[in-house]
Amino acid sequence: MVEDDRSVRAFVEASVRRSPHLHWLAGLGTVREALAWLAATDEIPDVLLADLGLPDGSGLDVIRAAVARFPECEPLVISVFGDEDNVLASIEAGAMGYIHKDAAPEDIAATILEMKGGASPISPMIARRVLAKYRSLRLAGGRPAATAVVVVPEASSLLSVREQEVLTLIARGFSYAEIARLKSLSVHTIQTHIKNLYGKLAVHSKNEAVFEATRLGLLP
Amino acid sequence: MSAANVAMDAPSGLRWGLGWLLLLVAWAAWMAPLPAGAQVRELREARIDTAAPGQPPAWRDIVLPYHWDRQHDNRAGRARFEIPFDFDGEVPAEPWGLFFPVIGNGAEVWLNGKLLARYGDIETPNRDDHAKAPRYVAVPPSMLQRHNLLEVRIRADAGRRGGLAVVRSGPSSEMRDSVFSQAYAWRVTGSLLLGLFSLLVAFIALVCWITQREPGPDGRLHRESLYLWAGLAELCWTLRVVDAVIDQPPLGWPLWGVVLAASYAGWICGVLLFCHYVAGWRTHASMRWMRVGVTALFASSILASWLSYAWHQPVFLTVWLGLASLCSALYACFYFGATLRHPSTARWLIAGAGMLNVAVGVRDWIVIRISSSSFGVITWNRYVSVVFGLALLYIVLQRFHRASGQARELLGTLAERVAQREEELASTYGRLEEAAREQARTHERERILRDMHDGVGSHISAAIRQLQAGEGSRDELLRTLRDSLDQLKLTIDSMHLPDGDVGALLAALRYRLGPRFDASGIALEWAVDELAPIARLDAQAMRHLQFLLFEAISNVLQHAQASLLCIEARMVGAAVRLRVIDDGRGLDVSRVPRALHERARAMGAALRLESRPGRTVVQLDLA
Repeated sequence: MVEDDRSVRAFVEASVRRSPHLHWLAGLGTVREALAWLAATDEIPDVLLADLGLPDGSGLDVIRAAVARFPECEPLVISVFGDEDNVLASIEAGAMGYIHKDAAPEDIAATILEMKGGASPISPMIARRVLAKYRSLRLAGGRPAATAVVVVPEASSLLSVREQEVLTLIARGFSYAEIARLKSLSVHTIQTHIKNLYGKLAVHSKNEAVFEATRLGLLP
Repeated sequence: MSAANVAMDAPSGLRWGLGWLLLLVAWAAWMAPLPAGAQVRELREARIDTAAPGQPPAWRDIVLPYHWDRQHDNRAGRARFEIPFDFDGEVPAEPWGLFFPVIGNGAEVWLNGKLLARYGDIETPNRDDHAKAPRYVAVPPSMLQRHNLLEVRIRADAGRRGGLAVVRSGPSSEMRDSVFSQAYAWRVTGSLLLGLFSLLVAFIALVCWITQREPGPDGRLHRESLYLWAGLAELCWTLRVVDAVIDQPPLGWPLWGVVLAASYAGWICGVLLFCHYVAGWRTHASMRWMRVGVTALFASSILASWLSYAWHQPVFLTVWLGLASLCSALYACFYFGATLRHPSTARWLIAGAGMLNVAVGVRDWIVIRISSSSFGVITWNRYVSVVFGLALLYIVLQRFHRASGQARELLGTLAERVAQREEELASTYGRLEEAAREQARTHERERILRDMHDGVGSHISAAIRQLQAGEGSRDELLRTLRDSLDQLKLTIDSMHLPDGDVGALLAALRYRLGPRFDASGIALEWAVDELAPIARLDAQAMRHLQFLLFEAISNVLQHAQASLLCIEARMVGAAVRLRVIDDGRGLDVSRVPRALHERARAMGAALRLESRPGRTVVQLDLA
């Protein structure tokens, strides 16, 4: 866990250690420490908890480094507010979910386990943003067709019809259970959709960066 | 615009004009008549019969030239001339020729009873006119005898300068190649060239007039009349000069004569106006008199020529021509004086050419209209006017050059101005935009501060109060703090909410209150349809809506003792209807917190409450 607030770190550590299914590896306070730990560790972390606002930089850098070194590692962002901009940026950096700092101690361990079990939470605000972004991408994708085909995945492959439907319902405030009932799906299927979505968003953002760089002439 | 500006490029223009003059002089020298050879004879002795056809001939002896108008009081008629000539020695065996400086208006030439040449129709009067050009008739040597009789029959129209000039006979080599060809060059070819030159000047001036617009004193664009008068003058002069080569005019006589007199007047009038403009007297008081005078001169030319031909009184035209010459002379003197006082190249050019033209005009008038020995004499004015034409062309081109330069300059200035204005606009717009952004920031700050004050601030101060007073349980304190954090999260969410998107607002609210719903043990029924955005709801109104719903839901969660909470949202027409329904114990509708009503009013929504045990409905209609 990377978090500069000692009390929060202690609180989360206590919550994790109480859980019989989780094993605490390390608690770090700065980007530098975290990068050093990631470079040196022998034990592969399954989960990374990262605060975004660190004293010597952004937690996004730690998330990117962790995903690059350990592709199987699933980062979670720790956030007070879970506000849209930060959460979206984290997802694009490779985060698979987020935990609110005011969550109850037992909820923290539960969220980590749920996520490892395949359930990534997504807020309606994020869902709305993803949909809006997807729509604008689909519009923009039509134009620079020649380049877009090469570097950006087909717009239709970005979100499947089912994923779109699920996202739309989440954006309207429905819970996974309600969506499962409305769409005659299992909650598990919906969780899988969301998890896939996280992955796509991260991958997509990389491609987007390449596309932009090509467009600006930074890459051949 | 001052005429002085025209002088800018004067030296080159002068050189140009001088070059033309030299060329003209050289041409004139080449054209000068050569001394006639010994064999050339002038035939002056003749007898004439002017009796009407059918009458017995009444022959009388005369000496050529025979100026019909002078002899016959400007009345039309026909005549037969018999001109005998003999060869003292041998009858020449070489080709022979006869030269007629003036013959007509229509004529037939017979030699020893045989027709040699015919010029027009001598039977039909007032149509064609062949007296304007010199004629040469070739005579085959076989037709010549020791005693010959040359017979010339003519038709003369009234006042058309017809008749028969002194006939010359001689070997064709001399007659045709030098005598005739020189006379022809002066009268016909020269007139044609001069006419073409005038036409060119007229064309250039009129093109300038059509295409050029210059800003006048009233700020609007005007055509430059200077070009028009120059063009019209030269056009009139073209007609006047080219008439020398027109055997068959489009109009009958004497109408054609009137047209020619009018074109001469038009030339004088146009030139006078042009001179006035060049001097820069466009707005001068004299301009009005000038216009009146010019109009009178032009109109009187038509009148005088018509009277002169219709009444067979050439004195009308003579007097008019004299008056025109006098007026021109007076104007030229006046102009000359003005030029001496305020000299400029353009004025000097005009004054010089004008004086020359007037002098030649007076000479022409005296020789042709007054003197008795004027038959076959041609005007000098047609040649001298080329000087005026050159001056005119020079000034027109100068003006055009300057005006187009000015126009380019103006365009440049205009483009600069537009660019400057655009820049100003952009900076003004930038400032306005900056001000608008600043205002938006201020509003946003005010809104957040108010939220902090109403929400987080009041919750935290409540928690502090509870702690200080030692009252309230740990749970109550926790709830107060949680409320404050939730309020804070809602405030942050509201910053991202698109204006008018009630659906997004509801979804965010549910997400934020999710843990509480879970903790309360109350079943939540979420019945939210797809909602159209309500455009009129701004950030402030969205915030009110958020607070209002938060209050209503918190109330159910904390006090209603309900087992089911239903949140409904659907479209009713274009309006959104929101309902928070619970199955709790109910509340006293009259004691609902005033803040709920105030917020509903602030966002312009209709709030309705109904409550009984088991069913409480808070309904909000947003149109």
